[in-house]
Amino acid sequence: MNDITVASLEHFMYRYPAGGTNALDVAHLRIHEGLTLVTGASGSGKSSLLRVFNGLVPHFHGGTVGGRAEVLDHDVITTATRVLAAQVGFVFQDPELQSVYPTVERDIAFGLENIAMAPATMTQRVGEALDEAGIAHLRSRAVATLSGGERQRLALAGVLAMRPRMLVLDEPLSQLDEDGAYSVVSILGTLARAGIAVVVAEHRLELLASLDGRTIAVEAGRVADGAAAGRRRLGNAAIIAGAQRSIAATMAWELDDVATGPARIPVVEGVSLAGHSGEVIALVGPNGGGKTTLLRTIAGLLRPLAGRVDRAPGRVAFLPQNPMALLHRASVAAEVAWTVRGDAPSTDATLLIDELGLTHLAARDPRDLSTGERQRAAIAAVLAGAPRIALLDEPTRGMDDAARNALCCAVARMRAAGGSIVIATHDKNLVAALADRTIAVGAGSARELAPVAVA
Amino acid sequence: MNPRALAAWSVSGITIALATGNPVYRVLVLLCALNLLVALRRPDASLRGLGVALLVAGLIATAVTTLASHTGDHAFLVLPSSIPVLGGPLTVEAAFFGASTGVGIAAAVLAAAPLSLVLMPNSLVDALPSALARTGAAIGTALNMIPGIARSATEIRDAQRMRGWRPRRVREWPDLAVPVVLTALEGSITLAEAMEARGYGSGARTHYGAVAWAWSDIAVCVVAPAAAIAFVALRLADVIGDWYPFPTISVPPVNGFGVACCLALALPALVWRR
Repeated sequence: MNDITVASLEHFMYRYPAGGTNALDVAHLRIHEGLTLVTGASGSGKSSLLRVFNGLVPHFHGGTVGGRAEVLDHDVITTATRVLAAQVGFVFQDPELQSVYPTVERDIAFGLENIAMAPATMTQRVGEALDEAGIAHLRSRAVATLSGGERQRLALAGVLAMRPRMLVLDEPLSQLDEDGAYSVVSILGTLARAGIAVVVAEHRLELLASLDGRTIAVEAGRVADGAAAGRRRLGNAAIIAGAQRSIAATMAWELDDVATGPARIPVVEGVSLAGHSGEVIALVGPNGGGKTTLLRTIAGLLRPLAGRVDRAPGRVAFLPQNPMALLHRASVAAEVAWTVRGDAPSTDATLLIDELGLTHLAARDPRDLSTGERQRAAIAAVLAGAPRIALLDEPTRGMDDAARNALCCAVARMRAAGGSIVIATHDKNLVAALADRTIAVGAGSARELAPVAVA
Repeated sequence: MNPRALAAWSVSGITIALATGNPVYRVLVLLCALNLLVALRRPDASLRGLGVALLVAGLIATAVTTLASHTGDHAFLVLPSSIPVLGGPLTVEAAFFGASTGVGIAAAVLAAAPLSLVLMPNSLVDALPSALARTGAAIGTALNMIPGIARSATEIRDAQRMRGWRPRRVREWPDLAVPVVLTALEGSITLAEAMEARGYGSGARTHYGAVAWAWSDIAVCVVAPAAAIAFVALRLADVIGDWYPFPTISVPPVNGFGVACCLALALPALVWRR
């Protein structure tokens, strides 16, 4: 590991324009060449810290800033982001919102166009970036046709084409299947070994366990050096939730020889599955394999192209991948209250808010929350009021360990009350903790995996 | 093909289609445009929707003119005069005039269609002069966001429906519209952040894969506008006659120079290859 300092913060503080408290308060921090892993709970300030390294904080977001921050010999406070961009690459969490142009190679070239690179050199750089990111086969594809994993690698290629000396990634693995995630991890490892400063904020730490690097922990905007990145497992909730279904099972939903897919093109065919009360089913498989399609079909949002879908009477709760599709009321509490409007008053909603660690955020506007906090708010909004069936699409996206444990508890409680839950996820720990049955979805079909014996 | 050459061809085609009421020239422009679209359209671009829309527009133009005009010597049906607007003789002349109007509309629209069905939207934006580069990038980015906004609207509608949202009155639609707008705004801000992080706005820009001018592009860029200018000049000089079917329908006059100007629009389909 190299000790050459690439970035440093001294007595650095930052407050967002409407913030009541400092989002960052860093006494001393140095980032070196090689890999640095940034850990911390949802809303702790990880994303804000990462944005200091390319100047988005403070130049893009505004607010109050103090102290000193230097990146690659540039004073961040006086150097515009667009100037730092030539040396600091940044990959955002949501790959869908990073593409500027509609085709892969054109999008990769966007940054090179901005630094006025000669067209001949640009062509060569685009080719190299495609190879480095492992997406040379996607060169001519339309961005809109790419899976989440492919899009994330496209975002990475767009940054690599600039040949940055520092690469910053904000939860780059959160939406990727295991193969896609390991592919990105492998690229990051190669870059770190080549002497590039790679700074990654990520909750799926088990995927990064193979990499050597430093860890810094962020808590309430303060930064402390941590131990080396290591494998983390779900805590108590995994044990609590691990109990198998115990009550007499009745059919909650059933797919009978179903073929289904968007735009009348089947993604999966010949699917016959049933879910029961008091049961958690996990749908696993690669990005683009059809997990979301199956969930939408069970929910009744997608009409099957063939076969039959039956659902027992009762409310069906559906958590989409994008939590902001749900959240548009003035506060988290109002969102939850809207779901249970018309129901008899119950303590369930309050309990759920508390269980998911949202009590202190209940009065906040969901759009002001971090990604992980938004995800928890969305889960509270759909699970409130004891639905008969709950369909959760990637519920642990952007969640820290504590939030995942809280989710496990909430789902286990719903199962114990006779709910039928289906979870589409890449999170192996979540599957191990909760799933009574696991269905592999991909390559046009869905098949049940044999149960794994618990030691 | 060079986007600027195709834009020049489109403007030329539209100019000829709108400069005459003679259905012969309009049909020739329409056929040239259709030929170009069939030969050069993007593999993912479908002509079906456009074809249906133009057919409907043509039928409406014909029907409205026939029902509302009542001018002309050859009546094929007489509606009672007690019917407001529609009452009176329906004439062959009015029907032909309406059909000619429909063909003119179709020819002009088909001449413009290659800009969206042959080119990628960003190719045209990239072809803007450098003085408009920033505006062009903004337009291109906005175009790129449209599919995302449509997906987001579907996602939000589905999510709200699953929570029991069943709009019965117009005043309940803000429950969908407000989050769609907010999500689009938030997406725009994130995209702006991503663009800034990739150096956008740092100074002069270059263009990836800028299309060079081939001889065929130059030929199209010279021939098509020249044909349009010649057609308009000949039309103003009354060398190319117009057509007016009232009071008695007649065969449209055809001039060799006029036909040649229209057929010059067939050049792209001969010299360009997809």
